[in-house]
Amino acid sequence: MSAYFSQILILICIYAIVAGSLNLAFGYTGLVNLGHIAFFGLGAYTSAILTVEYQVPFMAAFFAAGAVAGVFGWVITAITSRLKGDYFALAALAFNFLAVAVFLNWISFTHGPLGIAGVPRPQIFGLKILSPEGYAAFAFLVMAAVFLFMRRLTASRYGRVLEAVRDDALGAEALGKNVFRLKCQCLVASTFCAGLAGSLFAHFIQFIDPYSFYLPDLIVALTILIVGGLASLKGSLAGALIIIIIPELLRFLPIPDHVVGPLRQAVYSAILIGILLVRPRGIFGKVDLE
Amino acid sequence: MEIASAAILPQLIVNGLIAGAMYSLTAAGFSLVYATNRFLNLAHGGIMMVGAYLVYTFFNLAGLNFYAASFLAVICTSLFGGFLFVSVYRPLRQKKAANMVMLIAAAGLAILLEALVTLIFGTDVKQLNFISVQEGWHIAGAIITPLQLVVMAVSAVLLVSFAVFMKYSSWGKLIRAVADNADLARTTGINPYAVQLWSFVIACAIASVAGILIGLERNIEPRMGLGFALVSFASTVVGGMGSLPGAILGSYLIGLAENVGQWILPSGYKEAIWLVMLFLFLLIRPSGIFGTEQGVRQTKL
Repeated sequence: MSAYFSQILILICIYAIVAGSLNLAFGYTGLVNLGHIAFFGLGAYTSAILTVEYQVPFMAAFFAAGAVAGVFGWVITAITSRLKGDYFALAALAFNFLAVAVFLNWISFTHGPLGIAGVPRPQIFGLKILSPEGYAAFAFLVMAAVFLFMRRLTASRYGRVLEAVRDDALGAEALGKNVFRLKCQCLVASTFCAGLAGSLFAHFIQFIDPYSFYLPDLIVALTILIVGGLASLKGSLAGALIIIIIPELLRFLPIPDHVVGPLRQAVYSAILIGILLVRPRGIFGKVDLE
Repeated sequence: MEIASAAILPQLIVNGLIAGAMYSLTAAGFSLVYATNRFLNLAHGGIMMVGAYLVYTFFNLAGLNFYAASFLAVICTSLFGGFLFVSVYRPLRQKKAANMVMLIAAAGLAILLEALVTLIFGTDVKQLNFISVQEGWHIAGAIITPLQLVVMAVSAVLLVSFAVFMKYSSWGKLIRAVADNADLARTTGINPYAVQLWSFVIACAIASVAGILIGLERNIEPRMGLGFALVSFASTVVGGMGSLPGAILGSYLIGLAENVGQWILPSGYKEAIWLVMLFLFLLIRPSGIFGTEQGVRQTKL
């Protein structure tokens, strides 16, 4: 039972980081990055390939996962710099599809649809984390560090400038802020955190395949984000807690296993549509979606 | 990597044209919804998928005549589209929801439709089996089956009649007026909400025909909706958002590119080819071939 709770805690930590980092881009800076899960996936693949194929130590692979996701985050912002609003969002979503297409087809590197199995449990400075409880503690530490970083960032003057970019990019530009550079920096920070979460995910599940990083996961992240509220980090934490626990309740109902997957997706998407209709600001949201 | 011989090129071109014929039907509806409602309906492919499953239900499960089943499926899909519009999109718009909210709701709807269809029909692939695979005709080094010709003909006839409808009928004029400027249309006594609803329903009707054709030519599966929605987005970006000829041209260009691209790339990269094409257009000419700057400039309508 303790292992079961640890697993749920690990998932909550991972999705809190994914949704929190999406909040940094979406809620604070107004960059609706619908390709966020691609960066999560890039992190997972980087970490898995480095540790499985090249026997790189876990900590190095962990930070490399963030770095690779961050570099791609920069590339995507640079490519889409002319796009705004829904065009940027769908271009980012298209990037997600592109990433999955590459994961599926670059077989010599990613093993294609078979995925990468046997991703090792982390070993940090000689200490190997084997138990679910140990991993939960580690995931919690990572989540706490990421949220502390984001809290410091968003509470600072720099964070206010990011919010100014969201509310009035033209005005921020007129006041001498380099909006393009701010957007790039924000997306790099956001995707770096998503990459770290990807590494946590890969070493937790110990198996990754391309379809783990598809639209269904984006819906989970968006639902957490919007239920919790835009531009509120504590909202993302609360959202992750609620949204990860709800489908776990389905386990206690007598439903067959093959129904659980699509049912969970249906529940998530219905919650997402429902919250948009009823309370688009979510629980702790400070700003309206634009 | 070995490069395939030039002999297969005509076949790849024919395959590209068939893909373009199917894409153009979903892209036309996607573009129509964007033109009148100003949001990117990511659930459009899902509605097409629902249409395909409805034909499967009426024809294969209920045993109706194929044409009656198709007719019923078109009617039901249109009604279903109207229901989605009235229950989700209209209330959001009435709350002055931004385009982004509409897009996220549409993404949620796309996944909801996929999950519900999976719950009802399962993940396995379905086939209509109305016209069995026949011996193809050899034309200029390519093989084309009668069914594929039917698909292309139906798509062409439907799109030409739709274009005529948009250009000459009074409804078409209303739609174009709202697409051009909804506020101005209101001042002349047009009810933009009704026009937005009707164009959404028309788009769903066309999407259901696309679903039937795709069901005849390929397999039906829950996952097909999202792919088609993104192809529609890519086609309309390439051709020009909100322009009907643009959507059709973009669809054929994408169909051709992804198929002719297999001449040098493995077939698994089909999707990657049009995604890269989409990025190139977004990077170099976001307004597309026929488009205005509208879609890029006005994000908060």
